[in-house]
Amino acid sequence: MNILVACKIVPDDQDITVASDGSLDSSRAHEIVSQYDLNAIEAAAQLKEANEGSTLKAISVGPKKADDSKTKKDILSRGVDELYLMADDSLADLDSRATATELAKLVNKAGDWDVIIVGDGSADDYAKQTGVQLACALDVPYVAGATNLSFQEGNLEIQRNLESESEDIELAVPAVVSVSPEIAEPRIAGMRDILKAGKKPQNVEAAEEKPEESIETVSIKAPKQADRKQEVFDASDGEGLDKFVSAVKEVL
Amino acid sequence: MNAFVLAETENGARELCAGARQIADEVTLFTFGNAVTGVADKCLHLQIPEDAIADDAYPSVNESFDASGAKVVLAEPTVRVTSLAGRLAAHANTAAVPGVNALKDGVATSVYFGGTGVKESKPETDVSVYLISAGTFDGTQATGTDTVEEVEFKAPEKLAVKKGTAALPKSDIDLASADKIVACGRGFAKEEDLQLARDFASKIGAEVACSRPLSEGVNWFPREAYVGVSGAVVKPDVYFAVGISGQMQHMVGCNDSGTVIAINSDKNAPIFKQCDVGIVGDLKDVLPALTKAL
Ligand SMILES: Cc1cc2nc3c(=O)[nH]c(=O)nc-3n(C[C@H](O)[C@H](O)[C@H](O)COP(=O)(O)OP(=O)(O)OC[C@H]3O[C@@H](n4cnc5c(N)ncnc54)[C@H](O)[C@@H]3O)c2cc1C
Ligand SMILES: Nc1ncnc2c1ncn2[C@@H]1O[C@H](COP(=O)(O)O)[C@@H](O)[C@H]1O
Repeated sequence: MNILVACKIVPDDQDITVASDGSLDSSRAHEIVSQYDLNAIEAAAQLKEANEGSTLKAISVGPKKADDSKTKKDILSRGVDELYLMADDSLADLDSRATATELAKLVNKAGDWDVIIVGDGSADDYAKQTGVQLACALDVPYVAGATNLSFQEGNLEIQRNLESESEDIELAVPAVVSVSPEIAEPRIAGMRDILKAGKKPQNVEAAEEKPEESIETVSIKAPKQADRKQEVFDASDGEGLDKFVSAVKEVL
Repeated sequence: MNAFVLAETENGARELCAGARQIADEVTLFTFGNAVTGVADKCLHLQIPEDAIADDAYPSVNESFDASGAKVVLAEPTVRVTSLAGRLAAHANTAAVPGVNALKDGVATSVYFGGTGVKESKPETDVSVYLISAGTFDGTQATGTDTVEEVEFKAPEKLAVKKGTAALPKSDIDLASADKIVACGRGFAKEEDLQLARDFASKIGAEVACSRPLSEGVNWFPREAYVGVSGAVVKPDVYFAVGISGQMQHMVGCNDSGTVIAINSDKNAPIFKQCDVGIVGDLKDVLPALTKAL
């Protein structure tokens, strides 16, 4: 089967700083694959490996800095055969509908496909909307929150957890499926995988035109932080542990 | 103006209808859970067929929405309603605003980057769709009639087949009313080490909670046990973060705690900037020492 996986390239939130005016500054942040999209890539790679003769291509849309050689290699070192990336500053911070419109263009360039796997939600917006918007753009079924995914007799077999029940679902392809992070633990790529990744095809292009957005961002600011005493002891210096225990006793 | 509420639980229906009442003259509730009366001007109820998934009710939802004439949609962020809200947003040529925890004059406030930021945004389209986090509105304020109308399930052309369903095990974890919480993170290398936390918690009468990877990564805890932006938001008097690095996605769930106490072997862990009392040390030494001393 032919599998596509959508993954978003985002600044590492550990590197985001707060500017003096309270706005967020991600200009010095490393680009990384959005955390739960690593689980989506792993689920897609396992689906590929379980079905001989399958292909796996990754699709991604983002600003110019998403075209980052280390991040692209990272994606390609995880069992992905080929990458389709649209990187352009007019594609920064798109809403889910605009993102889906652009991803659909990449889907059409990536050739035949049976299933598109998306992650639980992106690290920045955590909207859980891009997958369903993409299903609408492509006019195919969508199932959210798979905790198990296999391909049997031409159909996808999906297990998922809702709030208080689980469901077993059978779904004809083509379809879009979002996966819960617990579906698969991301692999740690070995040196050989990383070397091989450098030779895999990358299709990087600019935007055709700026997509139409539905949501206007009014502001993004750092939240107010609770003031904490930050009284920190060290167990390795003689009385550290005792002092800590006394401090805890005082609180309780 | 009319508002359209998409909800599946009774609590969700109450809260969102109360919120909708503040911004609209007429409120239509659409639900595939139990019909809820007294919260909206009309409750549209749809029974999902045995072998279908609720996500595939979108043709019926979209048609009911069109008929309602509503311009605003408030949706409950459950798995299935989140799908339906996306389908409805696409149908209305817009995108749903996610994770909304406050709504004023059409401007929504949402968590950004797991709590690293707060984002304010506003749909520029004819129709606005908002996914509203639990607790944003006061459900006791909901008012409405007893009108319930049944809606027919119109299957989409291509649909999923539900083969079976099972109740998920109920957990007896009660984080909301706990005044002390001991939360465990990935610093616990082995599942049996959790006993150290359980022993300490039972000594001081605390509930045991966790970070998301211990629940949705290794399955050592039920989903109800994880604290954070996508899990439980807790406000105990005392919160112990044990082997938790202190990433925003987690801290957003416990920032309102009275006192935060951190145990972590890495002196540079971000948790030490967000705690009142902390110790740089191995949880395997520190927890037994606490249990013994208290
Ligand atoms: C969209 C999104 C939503 C998310 N939502 C949530 C959420 O709701 N809740 C949540 O928790 N996470 C959430 N996360 C995940 C979050 O980003 C972090 O990955 C997670 O909180 C890290 O968990 P942790 O602190 O247990 O693990 P780690 O970050 O791996 O930290 C483990 C810590 O244990 C310490 N340690 C190791 N060994 C020892 C020892 N022997 N003794 C003492 N300390 C030790 C280490 O120094 C380290 O600091 C979300 C992520 C995303 C992208
Ligand atoms: N810009 C993007 N490029 C590629 N995939 C994306 C992008 N944005 C979102 N996705 C996919 O859609 C999922 C849900 O994203 P979101 O709706 O933003 O929470 C993510 O986990 C990704 O798999």
